[in-house]
Order: sequence, then C-alpha cells, then structure tokens
Amino acid sequence: MEQEIRACLDRKRYQEAFDQLLPEFQNKVFRLAYAMVGDAALAEDMAQEVFIRIWKALPGFRGQSALSTWIYAITRNTCLTALKKGTAKRENSLEEPNVARAVEEAGVPAARHAEIDVLRFLDQLPERHRQVLRLYYMEERSYEEVARLLEWPMGTVKTYLHRARKELAEAVARSKMEKGTV
Amino acid sequence: MACAEFEERLLEFADLANGERARVDAHVAHCLSCREFLEALRTVDSQLTVQLAGREATPAFAPAVRRRVLHEGSAVRPSLVPEFLDFVGWGAIVALLGLVAWWLTPLVHLSNIRMTVSLNAPYVAAGAFLLAAFLFGIRSFADLKH
Repeated sequence: MEQEIRACLDRKRYQEAFDQLLPEFQNKVFRLAYAMVGDAALAEDMAQEVFIRIWKALPGFRGQSALSTWIYAITRNTCLTALKKGTAKRENSLEEPNVARAVEEAGVPAARHAEIDVLRFLDQLPERHRQVLRLYYMEERSYEEVARLLEWPMGTVKTYLHRARKELAEAVARSKMEKGTV
Repeated sequence: MACAEFEERLLEFADLANGERARVDAHVAHCLSCREFLEALRTVDSQLTVQLAGREATPAFAPAVRRRVLHEGSAVRPSLVPEFLDFVGWGAIVALLGLVAWWLTPLVHLSNIRMTVSLNAPYVAAGAFLLAAFLFGIRSFADLKH
C-alpha cells in the first residue's frame, strides 16, 4: 500500500494519495494519539489535526523515510505540542462512555469490572509508562509495534513496560488485599 | 511483592518456554506472594486488553477529516525558503571558519602572539557568538519550515 501511495505522490496526485492514506493510517494514528493524550475524544481531535498537517505537507514529502515513520512523527509532534500547550488535558478514560460500552460488549461482568479498577491506577504511573502501556494493549501486545510507533528502542519499550506492569500489578494486589478479595 | 528471582519471569509468563513455565508454576504453587502477583498481573492484562485492544476511531472520523481537507483546499506545494536558508546557514559556517583561519594565520609569524590574542580575543569571541546565534536561528527556522 505504501508503494502505491508513493507512486501517487511521485505523479503529484496528492488527493489520490491522501484518499489511500487516510483509511490505511487512521486507526494507527488514532491509537498513537490516544496513547499519548489518554482521552478518546481528544485523540480524535488530535488525529484530525494530524491528517490536516499531512495533507498540507504531502507535496513536501521527499521519501527520505518510510511514509509510516513520517506520519507517526507528525502524530507524536502534534500530540507533544498539544500536551505542552495544555490543550490536551489528560483525563481518566474510565469515565468515557466508549470504554464502558466496550467493556459491556466484551461481556465482562460489571461486578468484576467494578471490583478492581485498573485504569484508575494507570493515572498514578509516570507519563511515559502510561503511554507505552496503553499502546501495548491497544496494539495487541506487540513490543515491535509499540517501538515503531513511539520510535523508541526496543529495550526502552520493554523496560518501561515491565516497570509499568509491575507497578500496576502491585497496586492491584494491594487493592485486593485491602478489599479482602485474595 | 513477588520474589526477585521470579519477578521477571512472571512478567513474561505468557511467553515462557514450557520447561521454564513448569519451573515457575512449581514455585508459584508454594509461594503466596508470587501467586498474588501473578493473579494481579492477570487482572491487569485482562482488564486493559478488554478496555484498550483494537480501539479504533469512530465511523465519523474519516468523513470529518475529508470535510476539513475540502475546506483547506489543495495541498500546498513546498516552499524553497528552507533550502535557501539552509544554503545561507552553511555559507555562514564556511564564512565563520574562513574568518577564524584568516585571523589566526598571521599570528604564527608574529613574535607578540600573546599580546595580539589578548587584545582581540573578546571581539572575536563576541563576533563568533553572534554569528553562531544567527546561524542557529536560521537553521531552526529552516527546520520549522520543513
């Protein structure tokens, strides 16, 4: 697909290239934005902004890097800028209706979900741990994909992920002990 | 808190080879803290998988982007300004190096090297600083334009 998009760009068919690029990358961009800002609605706003930037910058794409690398770099920069400006207010995504609906659709009993609230603990982790953790579970637990999207070395991803999962597991274990469910 | 020796293996429990998993299983069977840790880890994995796996943008996303793109008009052709500024920046680097070389060369032949250096050094340092600052400004602007 990337080659087809590049072929369109070489022929200066920007609209055609964009039409192929949008469905191909929209979910990846959304997930990366979600991992960084931690809020679905905000992530969609960010992703929209990313695609507008891509549209404007398409004629300037020189093909020095892979198209996906370029797109993910734009996504990261857009989110980082928004986070620095404070326009991307990070919130606990537990209260999002989409999450509640997804949990219901997946057939997880409400009582069990309410028992231990893992996402609540997520907010207590450092920013980078949260980002890598969200992306890891969104990308079906692929270290490679997380490293590619964040452009971090694999070792860094694994280290952050281990620390984050360990901290979360310890928090959950403590919570279970306090509730006497263990 | 899991045992230090097994903590790493518990974090990678799903990916362990059969032999290693049997060893961890045997340990977990009689170690309460590791059992609790593994159970908590499974809770974390299952909940976050259910809540986050395969999240996608809403169906309204792509049409909204297309509307905005229509509103933005045609894609902008790239400006040549960054290339020009890049050229100016590199030209300034070469000029700076030339200036320093020109200033230093006569000193080799002079007997009062130290005196010359002490008199001119602040001016040269200030000039080099201003030039470098100018240079970095131009380079940054060029990068932003990219």
